[in-house]
Amino acid sequence: MTVLVLVEQAGGTASDPSLQALTLARSFGEPVHALVIGSAADLGPFGVRVTHVAEHEAFVSYAPDAWAATVGQLADRLAASAVVAAGTERGNEVMARVAARTGLPLAANCIAVAPGPPVTLTRLRWGGSLLEEARLHSPLPLITVAPHVVPIEQAPVATEVDRFTPQLKEQELLVRVLEHVAAPGGGVSLTEAKVVVSGGRGVGSKEGFAIIEELAGLLGAAVGCSRAVTSAGWRPHTDQVGQTGTKIAPEVYIACGISGATQHMAGCKGAKRILAINSDAQAPIMLSADYAVVGDLKDIVPAISAEIRKLK
Amino acid sequence: MTAVYAVSLAAALIIAGALFVRRALLLYRLVRMGKPASRFGEVPARARAEAVVVVGQSKLLQRLLPGLMHAAIFWGFLVLFPTILIAMIGAVDPHATLPWLGAQGWYALLVDVFAVLVLAGVVTALVIRKVQRPPRFKGSHIGEADLILALIAGIVCSLLLWHASQISLRLNDYPASWAPVSGLLARALGGSVVPYVERVAVWVHVLIILSFLVYLPYSKHLHVLVAAFNVYFGRTRARGRLEPIAFDKAEEDVRFGSARVTDMTWKQMLDTMSCTECGRCQDVCPAYATGKALSPKLLIMAVRDQLMTEGPKALAASGYTPPPIVPNAVTDDIVWDCVTCGACVRECPVGIEHIDHVIDLRRNLVMVESRFPEEAGTMLRDVDRSSNPWGKPQADRTHWAEGLGVRVLQPGDPAPDVLFWVGCAPAFDERARQGAISTAKLMLAAGVDFAILGPREACTGDPARRMGDEYTFQRLAGQNVATLNETGVKRIVTTCPHCFNTIGNEYPDFGGRYEVVHHTEFLAELIRDGKLDPLADERTITYHDSCYLARHNDIRSQPRELVAAVGKAVEMPRHGERTFCCGAGGARMWMEEKRGRPINHERVREAAATGAETLAVACPFCTVMLDDGVRETGAKLQVIDLATLLAEAVERRKVKSLGPL
Amino acid sequence: MLTEDSRAIDTRHLGFTMSPHEECGVEEAVRIIEAHGGDSVVLTLGPSEAVEQLRDAMALGIDRAIHLQTDGQEWDGEATAAALTDAIRADEAASGRFDLIFFGNESADSGGFQVGARVAHALVRPCVTGLKRVTLEGSSLRCEQEVEGGRDVYIVPLPAVVTVKEGLNLPRYPSVPGRMRAGRKPVAVSTPSRPEPRLELVRLVVPAGQGRRAEVLGSGAAAAPAVVEVLRKAGVL
Repeated sequence: MTVLVLVEQAGGTASDPSLQALTLARSFGEPVHALVIGSAADLGPFGVRVTHVAEHEAFVSYAPDAWAATVGQLADRLAASAVVAAGTERGNEVMARVAARTGLPLAANCIAVAPGPPVTLTRLRWGGSLLEEARLHSPLPLITVAPHVVPIEQAPVATEVDRFTPQLKEQELLVRVLEHVAAPGGGVSLTEAKVVVSGGRGVGSKEGFAIIEELAGLLGAAVGCSRAVTSAGWRPHTDQVGQTGTKIAPEVYIACGISGATQHMAGCKGAKRILAINSDAQAPIMLSADYAVVGDLKDIVPAISAEIRKLK
Repeated sequence: MTAVYAVSLAAALIIAGALFVRRALLLYRLVRMGKPASRFGEVPARARAEAVVVVGQSKLLQRLLPGLMHAAIFWGFLVLFPTILIAMIGAVDPHATLPWLGAQGWYALLVDVFAVLVLAGVVTALVIRKVQRPPRFKGSHIGEADLILALIAGIVCSLLLWHASQISLRLNDYPASWAPVSGLLARALGGSVVPYVERVAVWVHVLIILSFLVYLPYSKHLHVLVAAFNVYFGRTRARGRLEPIAFDKAEEDVRFGSARVTDMTWKQMLDTMSCTECGRCQDVCPAYATGKALSPKLLIMAVRDQLMTEGPKALAASGYTPPPIVPNAVTDDIVWDCVTCGACVRECPVGIEHIDHVIDLRRNLVMVESRFPEEAGTMLRDVDRSSNPWGKPQADRTHWAEGLGVRVLQPGDPAPDVLFWVGCAPAFDERARQGAISTAKLMLAAGVDFAILGPREACTGDPARRMGDEYTFQRLAGQNVATLNETGVKRIVTTCPHCFNTIGNEYPDFGGRYEVVHHTEFLAELIRDGKLDPLADERTITYHDSCYLARHNDIRSQPRELVAAVGKAVEMPRHGERTFCCGAGGARMWMEEKRGRPINHERVREAAATGAETLAVACPFCTVMLDDGVRETGAKLQVIDLATLLAEAVERRKVKSLGPL
Repeated sequence: MLTEDSRAIDTRHLGFTMSPHEECGVEEAVRIIEAHGGDSVVLTLGPSEAVEQLRDAMALGIDRAIHLQTDGQEWDGEATAAALTDAIRADEAASGRFDLIFFGNESADSGGFQVGARVAHALVRPCVTGLKRVTLEGSSLRCEQEVEGGRDVYIVPLPAVVTVKEGLNLPRYPSVPGRMRAGRKPVAVSTPSRPEPRLELVRLVVPAGQGRRAEVLGSGAAAAPAVVEVLRKAGVL
């Protein structure tokens, strides 16, 4: 009874969401096998007995149907008891195609599973604001794991690598990446940014935004601001987050010196996590924020930047 | 000789009359082309407006010098009107005059006095225009006004000269002693030229009058002819009410506001023809005052010019489609700058209803073109889909009242004495909710039987309506009226002047008739009834009148009763009926103020200059705008709702009556 | 707020709306038709109230609608895809093939990430997912998908299936004549029978800690390591 996990990797290192998927996959039992496309990665520390490396000339560029075919072929060959992938864009996409090809149900964005039959699981709905407890009635459970929820746990085992070449049909290569267009320079846009660092009236001046920009730079984040800041002319209107500004939906929103007026919060309600840095512990933003640091942002923001530098 | 004169006068009359009628007929046909507007009933109210605004010159006399100037000329015009006939008779036959009146000494005196007054008026007007040069004339046709003043001066001077020469020649039928000014002038006349002076003066007089008649309908002075009608057909009922659109017709028959001049109502056309370019509207417009694109005067002038160039083409060819008003005559920015504060409408001496023009342009842009400042789209969508402008869950509507013990009215519950209509801003905005919390506490303290609708309350639709989305507004109005009618409530209290105006003045159009009371009125009533006992302190308070209370709905005294009950009042220069907007009206709350200076800063500076410690407000939107303004300008002011000030004062009394511990 | 049996959200005071992904899909379809001609159909599976969203789509410019009406019970992704596939096949048999079928990348409520791919597979058409831009180039479609550091480009022949994401375009605010006309456009209603779901909802749970005040990580500069830990956990470092 083998559990097969599709592992996404870059430069020989598995992505965090894939390691999280590996951790959750062990809930189904042992052994855990991994499938990596293109090149190998060392997955022994994460409980992977066999790393199957799929090699094919078509894999120079991403082709979701080819990936799905590969997953399907390997799952067949291993007579897998479950197939798991990270709930990333690609993980969900490939698993949806596996589900379509096999005619089996798929449970996306799971955060807990228990083997069955039927498999019982908990998954995220409504962008994570609700949990669904569900039963999955399937001979081969197909699961994706919500990113950044399950903590990565190591479980070192002796590991081996199996290289194989999947059989791909021409039709499975019809949908493939033909070109990669690099994001235009000049930083990340507010709407697309994974992290947004915003400053409010508490920043104090146009020049005060230097520390905000520094932190944003370190995080690859976009810089935003409140309406008060654009009214004061410290930042252009295009930077404004709010009801009458840009609506954002980052993974993390860091609000520095922003009181949290309704007008502002209407623009950042799509943020997954809000971190408020404010000298006023009673500021309205504290009601909407997930995390808070109380104090002078002029001390706190540079300290966070320094801490991130230490890591790098 | 008399026959020659008679023929000449007849010829002049025919030519002038023909030219006048030709133009007047065109104007009449244009107005007849206008879309319907129901402005015919309520004759007593219209007659009253005519008496006060036209005859009484009430709007003009708000500004003393220009008001007196205009009143002198206008009343002079009324008094001197019969002299036109007298002069024409005299022009034909120097020995004849109008039976009876032409021989009345008192009338001769009146003519003399008013002729001098008109001259004084003309001189004053010239001083205002040439020396004082107030900025309200910026953009007006100055040369045209000068010519008109010259014509008026010419008419009066030639009249006086004619009378003087008549007296000198003893041709006067009235006693000369009754005409002191003409008599004085007569003494300066002498010699053999006097008969010629008499002939020339009367003919010049008559010809200037006839030229004036011809020139009138081609100039901004057309107001002499149409303003009286425009005032007569003005709004008689609630000023804050917008005319609903009837959607229950075939699509092509629905008037989605005005895209082109041919879409305007006849009243709107009459509006544009009435404009004298005096600029009183421009002078009081908060958008213009803060350097924005809008000037209500230039807006009306631009629409008039478009009407005058495109209207005749449309009359000539029934299939003709004039170019859209926006952006050809009026830019998009101008349309969106308006806060619908109504200062222009209130100020206008000739009854122009600028807001209706702006709203009709918006209606077309939003409902047909889907064109509006992008940032307001969120509000429109959220009002439509989530029933509140911030897109918050309806279930959160009661959060503000947690722990207060406010009853949420459930379907089927008996109607409370008073329904507290909370409004979206107090329900969802941290700063705006304080006024609602205080109002609820005071009502509880006074033992008022009241309840709120909670999640069954939806946005009144006001922001959508003021943006021009009448369709969404009517959907919400229908929904709210159904909810309210089902509860059976008779009396509604609200802290929001916009909800107050919409439910009170606009919901009757959709079958919702309730007594709607603003919380300042209601709290003042509770004090008067002895149900609340506040203790004033030394705090100095300046009260900011909300446009939708003070101007659109005449609620000015009750908030001031509250101010007097809690502290020491100090007024801002612009207060009461002539208040200055906070910048949030007309759905501007949901748009970025990208042009000019912030309106709220301007207002906060005015408040701070009074030296008051507290800037009292009675509107959740004013609260947010002015509080922002205080923070942004660093003014030393606290922005507090009157209800909160009253709650403190009631508490103060309680503590004091307990005595020192 | 959940219903008493915890199987659904209490929708009494919620207005239903089209989700942002789907609305962008509708807008894109309307734009393509405006630019290239043709006609468009909007299709949904949902309770009778869902007709409102179909009207919303038609207000944006879609020509007609197909409503697969349910009794309000939840359908899993597999069953939904099967019902949609049947409806599309039936409509194509009657009115001709769809050159392009848009789906939202994932449903806002159940977040299943699969209906588009399943329908595409069943119809044997290429499927590209998670798109932020589509451009019609003759008989093929250029698709741009947002990835780390830029965009991946796919070009697929028509007929094709795409799943799109919010940000693909800025949907127009529907005009009122459009909204009025939408009320008169045809909606074909059918009631497919619901198979037993293989992904069976047992109950919904509100995650612990929702609606509470912020967790205070500390005060002043000393809180920096805790902040970095939060960022790390969120996967953004």
